[in-house]
Amino acid sequence: MIMDTQLASLLTAGALMVIGIFGTLFLDNLIKKVISLAFIGDGANLFLIAMGYKVGGIVYIFLPGMSMSNFSQNASYPLPFALVLTSIVIGASTMAVMLGIIILLNKKYGSLSASKILGE
Amino acid sequence: MNYLIPLMVVIPITCALFLNLLHERTRTVKIISIIVALALPTIPLIANYGVQYFGGYQPLAQNPTIAVGLPNLITGTALNIFHPAITYVFGSAQKLMIVVLGFIALFAIYISLYEVKKASGVYAYLMLMGTASIIAMLLSDDIFNLYVFFEIAALAQVGIVLVSKVDYNYETALKYMILGSIASPLLLIGIALLLGVTGNVNVTDIVYSIQHGLVNPQSPVLLMACSLIIFGWLYGTGLPPFHTIKSAMYSKALPTGAALLQAFSVFSFVAIGIIILRIFSYLPFAHIFIIGISLVAMTLGITMAITQTDFKRLIAYLAVGELGYIGIGLGLGTALGITAGLFQAVNEAIITAFLFIGFGTIMYKTKETDMRKLGGMLVETPKSALLVLLAGLAMAGVPPFNAFQSKLMLVQASLNSGLPEIAIIMVLLSIVTFMTFMRAFHTIYLRPRPVDLEIKNEKIPNITLVAMVAFLVVCLVFGLFPQIATNFLQGMAMSIA
Repeated sequence: MIMDTQLASLLTAGALMVIGIFGTLFLDNLIKKVISLAFIGDGANLFLIAMGYKVGGIVYIFLPGMSMSNFSQNASYPLPFALVLTSIVIGASTMAVMLGIIILLNKKYGSLSASKILGE
Repeated sequence: MNYLIPLMVVIPITCALFLNLLHERTRTVKIISIIVALALPTIPLIANYGVQYFGGYQPLAQNPTIAVGLPNLITGTALNIFHPAITYVFGSAQKLMIVVLGFIALFAIYISLYEVKKASGVYAYLMLMGTASIIAMLLSDDIFNLYVFFEIAALAQVGIVLVSKVDYNYETALKYMILGSIASPLLLIGIALLLGVTGNVNVTDIVYSIQHGLVNPQSPVLLMACSLIIFGWLYGTGLPPFHTIKSAMYSKALPTGAALLQAFSVFSFVAIGIIILRIFSYLPFAHIFIIGISLVAMTLGITMAITQTDFKRLIAYLAVGELGYIGIGLGLGTALGITAGLFQAVNEAIITAFLFIGFGTIMYKTKETDMRKLGGMLVETPKSALLVLLAGLAMAGVPPFNAFQSKLMLVQASLNSGLPEIAIIMVLLSIVTFMTFMRAFHTIYLRPRPVDLEIKNEKIPNITLVAMVAFLVVCLVFGLFPQIATNFLQGMAMSIA
């Protein structure tokens, strides 16, 4: 049986988040921690995209010649796709700031170890 | 259309971006910062109440010309009244809170410009960006828009700590960001779940869907969304278990930055708290949970303040404890309780900013924040000592200051709700706050000066004293005439209760 696309996306999102949380908690290298945090963010974004999925849906672009009622009944929901773009930008900005701080901390401590720098 | 509503957010953001480019031009930075800082409390003061639909997209029911030709499955259903655009609502409660936030930002920016020889455009940029974000959170009726500004505010807060040059500020900022990078996606998933169940991110529409049975209110997905949004709320505002990192953030910022950071926390606490109440107040455990976490915040914050030796950290923990009072008011869920909670929020933002800036004069004169190395400062800074003493009395809820009125209202609301235990805890913790503050005041100002304490032979800038007097005046006015503030807040409280 082929798994439903939405369910597969939700499961993948869950897996990404679990891997991300594991990495954030148990990896000592700060760069690896940041990559793990990116996994968590990506999981959340995938989850958000999956909310807009519609079985048998069509792309939400109203083309000439399309029937209005057919479009309004079958078009997938565009809002989550618009929201996730914003979320990706926020995630990228946050990661850039974190990496910038890590560069400065690496210069100060000569290490990327979270236990040494953050005292965990 | 009331164009002043979006301008409350647009002006500080645009000018902040501009200031960032001008960071080497001290004079230009000062002039622009002062003008924008003045605009922060002025625009909400003169703006009329109203609703702003971004892009002009009103609900279809309000704009029949667009609705012509659309199929019945849109115009004949609830979609007809749903909000297609991001919506900002500017009511009387928002007016008071934005004016107070603008007032605090105004003095924080002024002092930061005049306490240093070379004004930093980057610092002004961060303060304006953070303030604009919190204003947007207070105005927004769209939960995703609120999330976006919540994230921008978090980045601005990290930036304010990064530019402070206080020891270990980078480490604290990174810890805060790591925790935030876990909490924010969870908040986003909470919002995604709400979107999945109701098909909306507009709070009014979500509430409509729940109240009119368009979705099952007891749906486990909604319960999950509630838990995740509350988790994000705890992180963003520094409630337990995030109180330690939040107070560390305050203590690693400059006094002006810390004054603004705590105001950000207070108003984001209110903005998200109100949305949680509006959407999830039908859940029986929502109120109990808010009261429970607020009690923990009050007890932990105030008791941890007792053990602090760094005065910035001490105020930071007291500020976390005071957030608990606001939470109690919101959690009680009655009109009186919510009014008292919102009034306490306004008062706490002013008093804590007053204290951070007041104790900041000690840092200005000595570069020291460790109370064990301080003493005898009454002789050096008598005027600011008196003002700090009054600020401390205000925080503890001593009459005739503003927090006395809001805490009294909270006690009355608890008693009216049949919860005298909470009233007793609040009174006891106010006494502990008073004792903690007096111990710090005695250590810094009254005991003999340590021989090795170096004091800078420089006058405290007049603007700092002016700011403290202005805060004192607001404390006294709201203390003597509380109805000035509560009249603004009652409308919102009654609509939620």
